[in-house]
Amino acid sequence: MPALSTQLLVIGGGATGLGVAWDACLRGIKVVLVEQSDLGQGTSGRYHGLLHSGGRYVLSDPQSATDCARENEILRRLAPTTIEDTGGLFVAAPADPADFPDRWVAACQQTGVAAEEVTLAAVLRREPLLNPGLVRAFQVRDASLDSFDLLHLLCTSIRAQGGQVWLRHKVNRLLMQDGAVVGAEVVNLSSGESTHVGALLVVNAAGPWARTVASLAGVDLPIALGRGAMVAMASRLVNTVVNRCKPPSDGDILVPVGTVSILGTTDEHVDSPDDLTIAAWEIDLLLAEAEVLLPGIASHRALRAWSGIRPLYRPAPAAGTETRELPRAHTILDHGVTHGVPGLVSVIGGKLTTFRLMAEQVLQVVAPHLGVSAPCRTADTALEPVGHRYHRLPHRLDQLEHPLGFAAPQVICECELVTRPDLEAALGAIESPDLDDLRRDLRLGMGPCQAAFCGYRAAGITLRTLDAPPPDGGLAAFLQERWRGLRPLAWGHTLRQMEFSRRVAAELLGLTDPPEAP
Amino acid sequence: MNDLLVVGEGLTGLFAAWLAAKRGAHTTLIAYGRGGLELSSGCLHLASGASPHAEIASARLPHPYALVGTDTVFRALEALTQLLEASGLPYSGRLDANLLLPTAAGATIAPAFAPHSLARSDLANHGPMTMAGLTGFRDFDAALASRRLATRLQRSIATVDLPLPGPAPRRDLYATDLARRFEDPDWCRETCRAWKPLLIGVRKLGLPAVLGLRHHARVLQAIEEALELTAFEIPTLPPCVPGLRLEMVLREACLDAGVDLIEGAKAIGRVDGTGLFARASGVVAMTAGGPQLHNAGAVLLATGDVLHGGLVAQQNGLIRESVFDLPVVHNADRATWTSPRAADPQPYASFGVRVDASMRPLDEGGQPLLPNLYAAGGLLAGARRTEEGSRQGVALSTALRAVEAAIP
Repeated sequence: MPALSTQLLVIGGGATGLGVAWDACLRGIKVVLVEQSDLGQGTSGRYHGLLHSGGRYVLSDPQSATDCARENEILRRLAPTTIEDTGGLFVAAPADPADFPDRWVAACQQTGVAAEEVTLAAVLRREPLLNPGLVRAFQVRDASLDSFDLLHLLCTSIRAQGGQVWLRHKVNRLLMQDGAVVGAEVVNLSSGESTHVGALLVVNAAGPWARTVASLAGVDLPIALGRGAMVAMASRLVNTVVNRCKPPSDGDILVPVGTVSILGTTDEHVDSPDDLTIAAWEIDLLLAEAEVLLPGIASHRALRAWSGIRPLYRPAPAAGTETRELPRAHTILDHGVTHGVPGLVSVIGGKLTTFRLMAEQVLQVVAPHLGVSAPCRTADTALEPVGHRYHRLPHRLDQLEHPLGFAAPQVICECELVTRPDLEAALGAIESPDLDDLRRDLRLGMGPCQAAFCGYRAAGITLRTLDAPPPDGGLAAFLQERWRGLRPLAWGHTLRQMEFSRRVAAELLGLTDPPEAP
Repeated sequence: MNDLLVVGEGLTGLFAAWLAAKRGAHTTLIAYGRGGLELSSGCLHLASGASPHAEIASARLPHPYALVGTDTVFRALEALTQLLEASGLPYSGRLDANLLLPTAAGATIAPAFAPHSLARSDLANHGPMTMAGLTGFRDFDAALASRRLATRLQRSIATVDLPLPGPAPRRDLYATDLARRFEDPDWCRETCRAWKPLLIGVRKLGLPAVLGLRHHARVLQAIEEALELTAFEIPTLPPCVPGLRLEMVLREACLDAGVDLIEGAKAIGRVDGTGLFARASGVVAMTAGGPQLHNAGAVLLATGDVLHGGLVAQQNGLIRESVFDLPVVHNADRATWTSPRAADPQPYASFGVRVDASMRPLDEGGQPLLPNLYAAGGLLAGARRTEEGSRQGVALSTALRAVEAAIP
């Protein structure tokens, strides 16, 4: 079995793991990061796209509020290309608790979260679709943040510093020596080949899967999983993040991201990190709550629904299953201290907005074990901008209208303006990619047609570009993945779109034909 | 005053309006959108399985086939194929066996009848074939069309990319753009000249279905003569040209037969009288110029399913019929409308309006709602059209039955 050794092995390719690896690289630590799937396939890629101002937590979790406010400003400096400065509003509806806004604004002052009351007339001028009956409004420093972009920036920056990021590599077991963790056996899920990675220290940043990873070292990690559903509306109904100014509950936020608006979220206790089902009531509740912010929202087209799993540290036996009431702040456990298993550190919970701070704190625990005393540099080192990723539609339009060659490049995905050169470049850059990787990298198939057209076109390109693609170029699997996110919204325009896509796949392309030979 | 007012311009509505006008009825067709033919391969699926005839004969209620009977299906097919033959768009096929045609994704479809240019690709005929992609055309990929099929047939299928002459287009071309170009004889000739050296030794060539629209037969003949080979077509992503050719023939047949065509107008059903005296009196057509009243002796709904707007699925679990608000057979729980897997049968796809043997919509008690209101095609409940391969068979046979009942 091939073997290599490193100083630090990080498990998990979400914001937490990549943040830890990035911080470690900047301190001169040799690092390998392994991710069982693709960047942001867990919680980091399944959120509502919000860069928190901190306003949401000023009463329930003041420390998180302060952390968010500070990290928000730092991230705007470090990764400006991933952030759209939409600004945010906290608005109180007539039926919301009348005393809440005053308590909330006082708590903002105490926690250092910038919030300023604005007149409703000004709010409605800025966001004409909002409910004219709103009673109060405050302006905050919320923004929208593209997590796929951020994770790619982190990955590129880590690699540029000499760190290694291995995608589609799963930890089979942790290597133990005298009761201590000394590395991991990692299997390449594409080739099936295993590698022994010896490490002075292993950081478990596996998010919802952290309990599984810890159990490989015999450590029982008490983690509660809260599943949140989100709905993307097909158009940009607001230009500002809109929060309900009331105690946190289901469906209290509307985030404009690119061309869509995202409604979030619910919170359901689940047992498995892979349980991403969405119930009809969750969708109904999100749409009904959004109706208070934006009357008539249900008549707009809903594009897609998804859910993500929040892992929360829960040391005491379950007092109930209300995961929303557990603190959102993160927990760092040095298992040498807590469980007598040296060599393993787990980091659980937290938020995308505070990933940098979490990483800094993890390194404060990790660095002494490695004999490293270099200070944290992540707060003032900008992430490497990635050259050819055009996630913004204006960039893509510009690229089409002012082509470099004689002719405009072929447009493969018309909704998101993904071109053939974009696809070919991405296919060349990823090891054993599938269409869903291209989606995360390029937004392929994420627009209104949900891959009914571009899925076929991209499958053809995949077939021509890759060495051993599936015989249909991965088309059936991609369409199934799109179907999954449409199902919770299967009525009205969305059901029409689903039927269209199904009809093209089954009756024009014959994708449901029996597999046996004629 | 119309004898028959048909709502909907898909296969069902066009076929019904043409039949009615041929029977001498003063017929008006009102359509809001384009109908589904440009999304279809132009093939006629009656029933999957070894023998369409046997499958149709064994259909049980509430399947529309069981209501209309085998004979109606065959008569409908005969009427349509005769029209197509006479209109220069001949179809081939049989009632006792399905064709097996390759698709653009390397899979197969199995219609009973298909236009000649598609039917020639029947995989029952062995022998080598070459699949051609057209450079820069996104909606057909020769590699994708051949790879999976070659594995399945356990024989190699050659592929070739054929260039399109002339300056690079300023935007990506759709199948319809190409079909119109091929109708220019000079351009077609020049194209064949450029292709000829790339096709040495090729006897049978599969091309995306873009070989002409109105003058398809002429284009196909010109290409075969110039290249000295047999060419067949494979349906592309929509807009799908063979479906459009079928639409064009039917639409022109309607106009020739004297059908009044009102397009771009949403229809709202009108009912006169109450109780035993209630009748469909016509529709209000919501046109750009304002609402127009249309009276008719009978109304035939050919508005299609959830895809085409005949049925509207709501968030609250209701499914509404869009013209007369007829009762719709469906599950009340929205969560049960779809299946987890896209490729599995979908419950919502068999929701629809229940009718009697004369195609008259029924109330919850099983009685005809109105004596002179009819429904046909995709709007009807009880068929699993995709899985059964019965979409066009149901459309045509129920259209014929409804017209025969409405215009005795």
